[in-house]
Amino acid sequence: MKNILYLFLFIFQISIAQTAFEKGNAFYQKEKYQEAITSYESILKSGKQSSDLYFNLGNCYYKLHQVAPAIYNYEKALLINPNDKDLKTNLGFAQKMAIDDIKVIPKVGFHKIIKDFTSSFHYDTWAWIAVSFAFLFLLFFIGYYFSQTTLLKRIFFLGMFILLLAISVSVSSGIYEKMQYENEKPAIVFSEIVSVKSEPKNSSPDAFVLHEGTKVYILESIANWKKIELTDETTGWIETSAIKELK
Amino acid sequence: MKRVLILTVLLISTSLFAQVQFEAKVSKNTLGLNEKVRIEFSMNADGDNFIPPNFEASGFRVVAGPSQSVSQSWINGRSTFNKAYSYVLMPSQKGALTIRQASIEINGQIYKTSPIKMNVTNAVEIPKDPNEAPAISADDNIYLVADVSKANPYVNEPITVVYKIYFSYNIGITNWRELSKPKYNDFWSQNIDIKQLVAEEGMFKGERYRYVVLRKTVLYPQKSGKLEIEPLSLDIDVQVPTNRRNIWGQALMTQDSKRVSAGSKVINVKGLPESGKPEDFSGAVGRFDFTVSPSKTMLKNGESLDLNVSVSGTGNLKLFNLPKPVVPSALEMYDPIHTENVTTPLSGMNGKIADKYTIIPQFKGNYQIKPLRFTYFDLATGRYKTITSKEILINVLDGPSIASSGKSNPNEVTKASIEAIKTFAYNKQKTMLSPITKDDFLGSNLFYTLMTLPFLAIPFFMIAKKRKEAIDGDVVGNKIKLSNKLAKKYLSEAKQHLGNKEPFYIALEKAMHNFLKAKLNIETSEMSKEKITEILLSRKADSESVTNFIALTENCEFARYAPASETAIQQDYDKAVVIISSLEKQLS
Repeated sequence: MKNILYLFLFIFQISIAQTAFEKGNAFYQKEKYQEAITSYESILKSGKQSSDLYFNLGNCYYKLHQVAPAIYNYEKALLINPNDKDLKTNLGFAQKMAIDDIKVIPKVGFHKIIKDFTSSFHYDTWAWIAVSFAFLFLLFFIGYYFSQTTLLKRIFFLGMFILLLAISVSVSSGIYEKMQYENEKPAIVFSEIVSVKSEPKNSSPDAFVLHEGTKVYILESIANWKKIELTDETTGWIETSAIKELK
Repeated sequence: MKRVLILTVLLISTSLFAQVQFEAKVSKNTLGLNEKVRIEFSMNADGDNFIPPNFEASGFRVVAGPSQSVSQSWINGRSTFNKAYSYVLMPSQKGALTIRQASIEINGQIYKTSPIKMNVTNAVEIPKDPNEAPAISADDNIYLVADVSKANPYVNEPITVVYKIYFSYNIGITNWRELSKPKYNDFWSQNIDIKQLVAEEGMFKGERYRYVVLRKTVLYPQKSGKLEIEPLSLDIDVQVPTNRRNIWGQALMTQDSKRVSAGSKVINVKGLPESGKPEDFSGAVGRFDFTVSPSKTMLKNGESLDLNVSVSGTGNLKLFNLPKPVVPSALEMYDPIHTENVTTPLSGMNGKIADKYTIIPQFKGNYQIKPLRFTYFDLATGRYKTITSKEILINVLDGPSIASSGKSNPNEVTKASIEAIKTFAYNKQKTMLSPITKDDFLGSNLFYTLMTLPFLAIPFFMIAKKRKEAIDGDVVGNKIKLSNKLAKKYLSEAKQHLGNKEPFYIALEKAMHNFLKAKLNIETSEMSKEKITEILLSRKADSESVTNFIALTENCEFARYAPASETAIQQDYDKAVVIISSLEKQLS
C-alpha cells in the first residue's frame, strides 16, 4: 500500500514537472519569456533537469537579450547532450550577441583525435557500452566453447578478441572522458564588465577586461579569486562573484 | 685790385692775431656715471676738416651733438672770432678716462687739442629741478589688478582671471610692454582675445579711476590643492603732469616709466567629493545633456550605421572623454570621428562634443547595444549626476551567407540553390527529465559487478562442461548412478522402512511389482512366478537375474513372517537394487 502511494507520488511529481515544461513552452509561444523562465526554473528547483529544459531556458534568455544566462544554459544543455545541432546553432547566435570575441585556438594532432572520439558519448554511456560488450563477450565465449565445428569456433574466438579490445577501448574512453569532465571546470562570466587581474588582488594591474557571456576555464582558486584560462589560452585572475560555474 | 687789397688786409690781420687757439673744454672733470658732461672744442680762427676724437674708444657715448657755433664780434674795433663744436657726453664706464685729441686744419696747418683726463665716479643722485619734478607720483596712480572670479573652485570648475590696469585721470599711458607672461601651471587655460583696448570708468580704492582690461583668461584647475597663478608684469610708459605750466595754464607732462606687477594669486582648489563618486566618472564637470542615437536600427547585410554619442552643455567639454559604446562581437565597430563645437566665453566652455562610430554588422540577428552611462559633477547642486541612454536594438535582416554567392562561371545557368541558412532554433517541445543529482554509473559498484560478471561466469561454464564430460566418460560410476536412480525410483519407500521389518518387506514386494508393471506392462493379477519368468526370459533377460528376482519376491513373502535381522534387511535391499538395475539394463 505504501509502495503504491510512493509510486503514485512519483508519477504525480513527474507529471507536475512535465506540465511546468509545457506551461513554459506555452508562455514562450506567447512571447512571455519572463513567465516562461519562471516556469522552467520551477522544474530545476524540483531537482529535475534535461538538456531540452536548459535549451528552452537559454532561448528565453536570448530573447530577453540576457547574454550571460543564455550562454550559461546552452552550455549546460551541451554538457548533457553534446551532439545537438539546434543547441550548437543557438549557442552560436548567443555568442554573436556577446561582446567579447575570443579566438578558439584549435587543438590539433593525436590529442584532438582522441578527444573527438571520447567526447562522442557521455562517460556513463561509455560505461554501459563497456558492460554490454562484456556480456556480448560472454555470449561469444559460450558460443566458442560449446560450438562443434571448427569454423564456428574460429569465428567466435576472433569475435572474443575484438570484443576484448572494444571493452578496453570503451572503458578507457569512459575513464578519460570522466577525467576530462572532472578536470575541466568551465564557467560563464556573469558580470557586465569585469577586469581580469594579473595577480589575485585588487591592487594588481588589469591584465584584460571581460564582458558578460564569455566562457572561461577555471584552473585554480585562492580565497575569492579564481585563476581562469580563456579559449585563446590567455590566463588571469578573476573574482569568484563575477563568474558562474557550469558544473 | 680791390680784392687783392682785402686779401692783403686779411692776411695782415691774421698775421696780426697770429696766435691761433684750438682747445677742448669740458664742463667738469669729475662726474658720476649717470651724469652728463659737455665738451666744447673751440678755436679763434675758422678751420676746416674738424675731426672729433673717438669718444666711444675713450668710454663715452655721445648723447647730443655735434653742434656748431660761430660767433664774431667787434668790440671797439677789435673783432673776435670764435667757432666751437660741442658734444654732450655720457660716460659708459667708470674710472679714469681720457678724451683724446681732436684735430682741425686752420690755414693749412693742423692743430690738435690736448687730451683731457676725466674721472668717472659712481652714479650720483641728480638733484632734480623742482619745476621739472612731476606733481604726482606714478606709483600711486597706476595699478595692475588680477581679478579672480572664484578663489576656491572645484577641480575643473571654470574660473576667470581678468587683468585690469587702473589709472587715475591725471596720468596718461602711452605704451606698455609685457615683461613676463603669467603662467598657469596645473590649469587648463584659454585666453580670450581682446580686440581693442577700451578705457572704462570704475571705482578703485574708493576713488574714481579709469581702467583698461588687458587680458581675460578662463582657467580650469586640473588638480586640487593650493595652486599659484604666476604674476603678470608690465612695463608702462606714462605721462605724468609736472608743476610747470604752459602759457595757457596747462600742466606740462613729463614721461616716466613704471613697472607694475599683478602679484601672484593663490587659488585653493577643492577636489571633487569622493562620496557618491560613480566608478565611471570621467571628470566631466558642469551641466550636460547626453544623447546616443543610431542613424538606423533596421539594416541589411553590408549596410552600415552611424552611432552618434554626444554631450552638449556647459562645462569642461574639452577635458574629458566620451563614454565608449560596447557592442556585441557580431557588430564591427570602427574608431570614432571626434567633433568638437565648443566656444569659450568668459563663463566657461560651452557647446557640443560628439563621437561618431561607424558600425557594420557581420551576421544576421538581433543585437543589443548596451545603454551608455555618462556621469558628470553638477556644480549647481554639488552632486554627481548620471545620464543613462536607452538601449538600442539593432535588427540585421539578412546574414552574410547570401552575399557570398559568387558565380565562378558567368555562362553557368544560375540554379536556385537552396542555402541552408542557419536560423534560430525553436524551443523543444518534449523532454525526458532526469534528476539533477545523479550518481555516476562509471566507477559505481554496479558497474564493476556488471563488468566482472561475464568474466566470472566463464569458469562456471568451463567447470560445467568438464563435469558433464567426466560423467559421460565414467562407465562404472554411471552404472551406480543408474541403479541409485532406479532404487530411488522404486525402492524409496522400502528404504524408508529399512529398520522396520514388516513394512519394509511389504514395500519391497510392492516395489518389485511396480518395477515389473513399469517394465513389462503387466497387471498385478497376472503376476505368477511362471509368467514373470517366461516374460522376462522372452525379453532376453539373464536367467540368473530372473532367478534372483523370483527368489527375492519369494523371500519377501517369507521374510515378512519370519524373524529377520537388520543386516538381512539391508542385504535384501542391496540385492533388490542390484537385481533391478541389472534387469533394467537387460530389458532396455
